[in-house]
Amino acid sequence: MVLVLAFLALLNLHLQKVDVKNAWLRPANKGMNSALYFEVTNNSGKPETLLYVSSNIAELVQLHESYIQKGMMGMREVKDVVIKPHSTFSFKEGGYHVMLLFLKKNLKPNSTEVFFLHFKNSGTVKIKAVVKKG
Amino acid sequence: MNHLKLVPNKITLFVFFSGLISFLFFGCAKKFPEQKDISGNNYVLLNQDSAKVNFPSDFKGKILVITFIYTNCPDICPMTTHNMQMVQQELAKEGITGVQFAAMSFDPNRDTPKVLKEYAEVRDVNLKNFVFLTGNKKNIDSIIHEFDFIAIPGDTTFVDKKRPIYFYTHTDKLFLVDKQGRIRNEYRGSKVNSQKLISDIKSLED
Repeated sequence: MVLVLAFLALLNLHLQKVDVKNAWLRPANKGMNSALYFEVTNNSGKPETLLYVSSNIAELVQLHESYIQKGMMGMREVKDVVIKPHSTFSFKEGGYHVMLLFLKKNLKPNSTEVFFLHFKNSGTVKIKAVVKKG
Repeated sequence: MNHLKLVPNKITLFVFFSGLISFLFFGCAKKFPEQKDISGNNYVLLNQDSAKVNFPSDFKGKILVITFIYTNCPDICPMTTHNMQMVQQELAKEGITGVQFAAMSFDPNRDTPKVLKEYAEVRDVNLKNFVFLTGNKKNIDSIIHEFDFIAIPGDTTFVDKKRPIYFYTHTDKLFLVDKQGRIRNEYRGSKVNSQKLISDIKSLED
């Protein structure tokens, strides 16, 4: 029985098409904005697309990209994010991030928040992210 | 066996001292290429406690590390603020005093003193020598112009037909101002080399 369960667990691990790690977000106050960062790995042999992210802690959640143009920093919304086969895509400071607008609560350092990542092929993945100073 | 005896003649001494003077003069100039004096104009601003601040005259006699932010910025401005906090903490560890940190909002219509105070509190900013500034939009625009800092608001959209959403495209810089009110150097705010900034601060202390 134990062996069967272990086999199923191993099988499940292999079937998991996307892994999300190192999720964190910035501290911010209710009504303000924050950003969510993480690393997403596409374990499959096909491109995967992150369509959108949902959360109960913000009124609006958007995929954003920070960019440099003529020495100036800007930010724009992106429709979706494609993760190449067998590769990792980083949502990181100064780059792609999940924009959280009009927060419904204060985000204090060391607290944890839940997010749902909606992928084209892998469906919905629930993640937990910790609020870190930064 | 011949032994060469090196006796400096007048020409050698002249070349040596000329080189030394050139190194000291031009070396320092290269270290701090920025020399713009901002002490001529004075502006009345408000800090996070709604107290009046005369800028830059209230900071005269202190080394000032200053940047420009807006609190609705989720990515770049918090990075710059955090980098300044790290430098502030490092200087405190080394017992270096007389350095003032400032973050001035270029979005004063939304960034009231109350908003700035909450922004500082949620980030655990030590306000002992770190101040957040806001004020009249015309004054702020004049100040950022003096620093050659650019902040351009993007298109505005509305949530519930009431609450505006807009972001800025802006310069990513922080500045080092000496005790006399002269801009002496500038750094990329979100990716500042802390050790370089600390080294420059120490140079200005002397």
